[in-house]
Amino acid sequence: MSTDVLVVGGGNAALVSALSAADAGARVRLLERAPAHFRGGNSRHTRNIRCAHDTGDEFTTGPYPGAELRRDLGGVGDGPSDERLAELTVRESRSVPAWMTAHGAHWQPALSGTLNLARTNRFFLGGGKALLNSYYRTAERAGVTVEYDTQVTRLEWTGETCTAAHTADGRRIPAASVVCASGGFEANLAWLGRYWGEAAQGFHVRGPSYNDGRVLRELLDAGAQRAGEERGFHAVAVDARGPRYDGGIATRIDAIPFGIVVDRDGRRFHDEGEDIWPKRYASWGRNIALRPGQIAYALWDAKVQGSFLPPMYGPYTAGSVEELAETLGLDGRAVAETVGAFNTAVDRGGPPSRTFTMSRPDGRRTAGLDPPKSNWAQRLDTPPYYAVPMRPGVTFTYLGVAVTDRARVRRVDGGVFGNVFAAGEIMSGNILSTGYLAGFGMTIGTVWGRIAGREAARHALG
Amino acid sequence: MPLDDLFDEARRQLTVCNSCRYCAGYCPVWPALELRPAPERRDITHLANLCHDCGDCLSACMYAPPHEFAVAPPSVFADVRKDTYRRYVWPRRAPGRLGTGIAFAAVCLVLALLSRLFTGRWFGAADRPGDPYEVLPHVPLLIAVGVPGVWALAVFGWAALRYWRDIHGRLADLFRPRAWRTTFVQAVQLRHMEGGGAGCEVPGRRGFHLVLLYGFGLCAVSTTAAALLQNVLGAQPPYSWVSVPVISGGVGGIAMLVGGTGLWVRGGGSGFLWSLLVLAATGMLTLLLRETVAFGPLLLLHVAAVVTAFGTAPYSKFVHWIFRMLSIHHDNLER
Repeated sequence: MSTDVLVVGGGNAALVSALSAADAGARVRLLERAPAHFRGGNSRHTRNIRCAHDTGDEFTTGPYPGAELRRDLGGVGDGPSDERLAELTVRESRSVPAWMTAHGAHWQPALSGTLNLARTNRFFLGGGKALLNSYYRTAERAGVTVEYDTQVTRLEWTGETCTAAHTADGRRIPAASVVCASGGFEANLAWLGRYWGEAAQGFHVRGPSYNDGRVLRELLDAGAQRAGEERGFHAVAVDARGPRYDGGIATRIDAIPFGIVVDRDGRRFHDEGEDIWPKRYASWGRNIALRPGQIAYALWDAKVQGSFLPPMYGPYTAGSVEELAETLGLDGRAVAETVGAFNTAVDRGGPPSRTFTMSRPDGRRTAGLDPPKSNWAQRLDTPPYYAVPMRPGVTFTYLGVAVTDRARVRRVDGGVFGNVFAAGEIMSGNILSTGYLAGFGMTIGTVWGRIAGREAARHALG
Repeated sequence: MPLDDLFDEARRQLTVCNSCRYCAGYCPVWPALELRPAPERRDITHLANLCHDCGDCLSACMYAPPHEFAVAPPSVFADVRKDTYRRYVWPRRAPGRLGTGIAFAAVCLVLALLSRLFTGRWFGAADRPGDPYEVLPHVPLLIAVGVPGVWALAVFGWAALRYWRDIHGRLADLFRPRAWRTTFVQAVQLRHMEGGGAGCEVPGRRGFHLVLLYGFGLCAVSTTAAALLQNVLGAQPPYSWVSVPVISGGVGGIAMLVGGTGLWVRGGGSGFLWSLLVLAATGMLTLLLRETVAFGPLLLLHVAAVVTAFGTAPYSKFVHWIFRMLSIHHDNLER
């Protein structure tokens, strides 16, 4: 059977592209690099999607107007790279939830445990892997051919047209249109090493090891125009004891604002009390990536133990700060000095005006300390003391290919490829240049998957 | 797996679950886990028995095997439940398949001898076809079924009390009618098997289970109705085809066969499922062939199945509903 639309990738954007192309009547073939049980790329670790809506419902607690989403989008990082495409994404996001439901998605009723995102974000029942399972089932019913364990190693070109994809097992798969929805290159430590040097070896990758950016590289080599910051990635603090790849949500560390963070030398290096979640959540991956050895240690004491999610591997614990530091392999005296100086600066900050609360910045700050802790500052003085080692956990990369409003991949010479479309992380740099907006990666994947699938089918079927 | 290892493994997996919480919408197990950041043995036992084994969490889990975190709550919960079914009944030792088979054969033999002793015939029902008391008079029949029945009820009651003390504590909370109403509605609908709207991972499993459950209920209605007809209204069996005992028993028996077979095809048979199928099949045959010479032997076979089922119920998966109901009740009380 010949292929109208070839979809490269197996995550959210790929499945949405495939479903959208199949809806338009195309014969669709999807190549997923991972084996079936690891299918779904980074999407299998996602949890929710951010779409504009005028009224709340069973799954969102209130309205989230398009204008507000647009503002939120402008507020992250340096704002959208392409204002027009950002606008389009926000507009199109309105119809996304209904489309998802029609293609098999189930939703979780808005709960208290939905991370302050209950108004803006819809939560997938069971998370991203469950969503992808539903999509794969729907795709199967729609006649989409899915091939697992199939890595695309090369795209074959005739002029500006991609005529076929070559796979690692030596096959040549011709197709009328090609949708590249194969993610970024966050799992390619050698590529990250081009920008980060040796440090990249100290990174953890939160998604599967398959995201090596091979297809992105093929497109760039074929003359695709770039979008998104080249050395940019989104990273959070993860447990250093976690696996190098695919640790996902379970290894993230929530302890940081409850105590202090020291580096390999036992010194503080960044304000642990800045801002509120999720911005703080997103900044620590990079903070740690910039430290020697790409490692840091969150320390807290008995006063706050139990008030945040326990780390998956359990904390290290000891009766004194020195002892704890030595358990971690740090210089006990240096850490004790850091804690002493921190406690003095907390005292200097004056008596707390409010009770210690994590629900909002509480204004309890240190005085005369560099760097300061500008909220939730309280003495570390109640044994036992606790610590976890942390590393940067890279979630996704920003560098991708530039696209038109029909998801066609642009070329550096100003034109577009004849039959190549892109959706998802591989083109998210058009919309998110830097920065992070929870659940918006899935919005981009779904909005642009729908466009790419539809346009690819239209191109193939004429 | 040794018990300590089993609970350690459950704890290891649940620590990953507590760090993720994506499954919160599937069933009450996950919100209940959030209340237990460091689950003890009794917490794990409660969660395992609250689990209805729909499998949605496993298929949604990005950490399911072959991921190195190897998170598979349904199977670890199933193993914990096996421990529960052992630990709370007395005596703890369960008869194996062979033991149950031998017991069944022995009961058949004893009933046949009793029948011969009281009626002087070998399974004959000469005068009134379909009359059970022509095969075995009322009182010996009542004793044969009643002794294991009362035994089973006593073991159930004792198990329920001990379980409740372990997972909840306050005995007074067993008498909370409003919470019980919620619990009962959730239980008879298998609400917690719906996966929060996603449905059970094995299509049809919940449906077949419901059919089996209601079939079993109808058979209980049939027996009760027959007892009322005989002892209150003085009407002796056999009852007409359009009487309450025959209709409820007939529909119930068919439902048990359909539900049981469905579950067996979907999920593989446990010894408990087999005994229910034997119970329903012998009951149905007794009813259908009650006007033939086969009636006598079939009735004895059915009564022997009932006696064996009562006698072994506390040591089979039959007990699952007791612990599950109590865990649902505890869950309703704690939120």
